[in-house]
Amino acid sequence: MKRLSLFTICLIILIGSWVVLRFAIGGIVSVPIPGSVIAMYMGLIIIAVLVHISVEDSLFREFLRPIHETLVDNNLRVRRRVIAVLIPLFLLGYTHSIIAQRANPPGSPRDAHPSPPLELTYKDEVIGTMQDVVNPFRHYEKDDPEAFKAHVENGRRVYYDNCFYCHGDHLDGQAHFAPYLQPLPANFQDPGIIPNFQESFFFWRIAKGGPGLPAAGTPWDSAMPIWENYLTKDEIWDVILFLSDYTGYQPRTFGEAH
Amino acid sequence: MVNRNVVTLLMLVFGLLCAVMLVHAQNAPEASERGKEVYEQSCAHCHGTEGRGDGSAAENLLPKPRDFTRGLYKIRSTESGQLPTDQDLFDIITIGMPGSSMPGWETSLSADERWEVVAYIKTFYNGFKESEAPPRQISLEGKIAYSEQSVETGKELYVELGCVECHGNVGRGDGTSAPTLTDEWGFQTWPANLAQSWNFRGGADTEAIFKRFIGGIAGSPMPAFEGDSFLHFGLSVEESKRLTELENKDEMTEVEETESEKFYEKMDVAVDLALNRAEGIELTAAEQQTYDDAMKVVYEKSWHLANYVKSLAPEERPEPAIGKNVLRSQYVQGELPGMEDTAWEVLQSRHFPLVGQVVIEPRQFNPTIDSVNIKSFYNDTEVAFLFMWDDRTHTTGDEIDESTGKPLEDALAIQFPVKVPQGPTAPKPYFLWGGRLPVYLWHWKASAPEQVVEITAKGINNAEVQAAQGALQAQGAYTDGQYKLWVKRALKTDDKKDLQLEPGVFVPIAFSAWDGANGDVDTKRVVSSWYTFVLEPVPSSRRFVYPPLIAVLSLGLLFGLRAVVQRRNS
Repeated sequence: MKRLSLFTICLIILIGSWVVLRFAIGGIVSVPIPGSVIAMYMGLIIIAVLVHISVEDSLFREFLRPIHETLVDNNLRVRRRVIAVLIPLFLLGYTHSIIAQRANPPGSPRDAHPSPPLELTYKDEVIGTMQDVVNPFRHYEKDDPEAFKAHVENGRRVYYDNCFYCHGDHLDGQAHFAPYLQPLPANFQDPGIIPNFQESFFFWRIAKGGPGLPAAGTPWDSAMPIWENYLTKDEIWDVILFLSDYTGYQPRTFGEAH
Repeated sequence: MVNRNVVTLLMLVFGLLCAVMLVHAQNAPEASERGKEVYEQSCAHCHGTEGRGDGSAAENLLPKPRDFTRGLYKIRSTESGQLPTDQDLFDIITIGMPGSSMPGWETSLSADERWEVVAYIKTFYNGFKESEAPPRQISLEGKIAYSEQSVETGKELYVELGCVECHGNVGRGDGTSAPTLTDEWGFQTWPANLAQSWNFRGGADTEAIFKRFIGGIAGSPMPAFEGDSFLHFGLSVEESKRLTELENKDEMTEVEETESEKFYEKMDVAVDLALNRAEGIELTAAEQQTYDDAMKVVYEKSWHLANYVKSLAPEERPEPAIGKNVLRSQYVQGELPGMEDTAWEVLQSRHFPLVGQVVIEPRQFNPTIDSVNIKSFYNDTEVAFLFMWDDRTHTTGDEIDESTGKPLEDALAIQFPVKVPQGPTAPKPYFLWGGRLPVYLWHWKASAPEQVVEITAKGINNAEVQAAQGALQAQGAYTDGQYKLWVKRALKTDDKKDLQLEPGVFVPIAFSAWDGANGDVDTKRVVSSWYTFVLEPVPSSRRFVYPPLIAVLSLGLLFGLRAVVQRRNS
C-alpha cells in the first residue's frame, strides 16, 4: 500500500478532529458544542499541526510537496482542474449564504432573577422589609403540624384554582396554557428557583406579577397576573407553603446565624 | 328432624358468611395505600377525593375532569359499552389528553405509581369488580391503508352517516347542532375540530380515530358505530346503496316497497342482536354470524372514514411563529392582493397559538379558539394581512351577556406597540392591551365585517377609540367554521397614535380573540403574549456581486500561486 503523504495525514487529522468535536462529542457524548468553542479547539489543533510540520525543514518540504506537485505537475492536470473549480465554487456558495442570511428577531437578554424592592407591600400596606419578612405560617411546621397541613391544603386549593393553568400539575411550568407564553412560566421543580429565594421574594413576585417587575433588567414580558388583586395575604402565604411542600424544596432563610 | 335443622342452620350460617365476605370484598380496595396516596397528591384536586370529578379545580374546567364513579371512559381500545382495559387507563395517565387540562404524568410519576393509580381509580366503580370477562377489545384487523380513493369513500360516508351535523362540512366542528351538545353530566361539550388533530384527546393516528368510531366516546354525544347509531346497520354496502336510492324516490312501486321492507326487517334483526349482545345475552352461532356480518360493514366503512378524518388535518401542529418561523411579510411590486386573490396561496401561513385570559376578571379558563394563522404582503406604501382562525359558531351579537350587558359576538383584535421598542433591552408595553406604555390596536367585530376600528389602549380596561379613523381597509367572512379577515393599511400614517411601519424592523404583535358562543366578552377572551413580525426587506443586490467577486479572486490567487511555484522551480 502506498504511504499517505504528510499533507494528507494533516488533512485527515483536521477533518477528523472537526467531525469528532461536532458530531461525536457534541451530539453523542454531550449536548452540541457551540460553534465558537469548536473554532477555538480547531485553531489550537491547526497551530499544533503547523508546529509539528515546521520543526524540521525536511518535514516542512515533505508537507509542501503534494501542494507543489498539484500546482505544477502536468501528470496531475485533472486534479488541478478539479481543485480550481471546487475552491471558487465553495467560496461562492459560502459568501452567498452569509450575505443572503435573513435577519432573525432579537432575542431577549433578560436577567434570570429580578432584584426585589427593599420593602414588601400588599396593595399599599407595608408588610416590612424584604430581608426580614417571614411567612407567618411557616412556624406551624414545627409548632403545630396539623395547622401547617391545613395551610398547605389551602395553598393547594389556591394553586389549582389559579396557578395551575400556566405553572402546571407538576409545578414545572409546563401546563396547557404554558407552551405558547413567552417567557415560559416559572418552573418550581428547578432546583435553582425555590432554594435561592426567601419566601418574601415569592410573596412579592406573586403579589405584583409581571407589571410589578423592576425597571432594570427589562424586557420582562411576563404574563404573570397581579395576584394581590385576587388573593388575600394569607392565601399568598399558603400557596408559597404549598409550593415548597409539593416540590420538597425549602426557600432560603437567614436563620440564627445572623 | 334434628339433622335437617342442623343442616338448615349450617346453610344459613354459611350463606351469611358468604354475604359478609362478598360485601367485604366489594369494599376492600384492592389498590394499595400508595395508589390512594398518589391519587390524593396528584389527581384529587381535579377528580375529587371520591373520584366524582368534583375537585376544587373542576369548577373552572371544561372539558370537566372525569367522574370515575360511572365507569364511562372516553378513550378506550374496547368495544361500545365496555369498560376500558388497565392499559387504556395507564396510557391516558401517561400521555394525558391533548386539548384538555389533563397532562401526561410520565415525567412526574413512576410507572409503578401510575399502575397503582390505575388500580385505585378502578375502586371508584364497582363494575370493574363485577365484570368477570375481560372487556372485548376492538379488532384492528383488516385495516384499510390510507389512499386517495379511501379518503374519497370516507368523504362520502362523512356526509351519509351524518357526521356533518356536528362536525360541519369540512370538519371544523361547526355543524348545525354543535352549540346544543351536552355530555352525560349535562355540561356543554363541543364537537372536535377535525382540522386540529393536535387536540384529539385520544391521539390522532388512524387507529386511534378508528377506535373512537367503533367504541364511541363514552359520556359524550359521539356515538359508537353500532346498532341504530349506524346508518343501515345490518345491510351490506350494496344493499345500503340500494336502500338510499329507494328512499330518495318520490314514489315507490309495489315491488320496490316490498324490497325496502325486506331491508328494514334485516336491519331490525341486526339492531336487536346488537342490543342483546350489549346486554350480555349470549347469541346463537347463527345470530353471531349475522351480527359479525353487520359489523364487518361497519369496520370497513370506519376505516375509510378514519382515513378521511386523517386527511383533514396536518400531521402535527404547525410550529408556532417564533424564532425562524417568525411572520415575514413578503414584498411585492404593485397592487396588494385582495382577500380572495389566489396570490395568497404562494405564502405559507404562520401559526400563532392563543391561550385563555386568566389574569383579569372575568377570565376565560376554557378557550374554544385555538390559534390564529396569518399571511402578509407589503409593497412600497401599504401592508396587507390575512388572518384566519377557526370558530365553531358565527356569532354576531344578537345575544346579550347577562353579567356585562354587552352583546356576545365573535371578534379579533390585533395589537402592536405604538412605538417599536428600540434595541433588545427596551421594554414592550404590557402584553394585555398595554399599561404604562400604550398599545395600538385593530379591533374587528363579526357584526361589522368591513370595518376595523383603530384603538389606543393603556390597559385592558383603559382603551380609547382613536378620533382619526379610516386609515384601514378591511373585509371579513365566515365559511365552514373559519373566519378570514383581510386588513390593509398604509405603512406610514399622519396619526401620531398609529404605529409606523418600516421594512426590516421587528415589530411586536399580539392578539385577542372572542368566541361569542363560548361566552367571550370584554376581558373574557383568548389572548397571546407578544410575538414578532417583520416586513421582510427585499434581499440586498450585494448577494449577486460579492460572491462571484470572491470566487474570481480565489481563482486568481490559485493561478498566482502556481506561477510563483513554477518560476521558483525553473
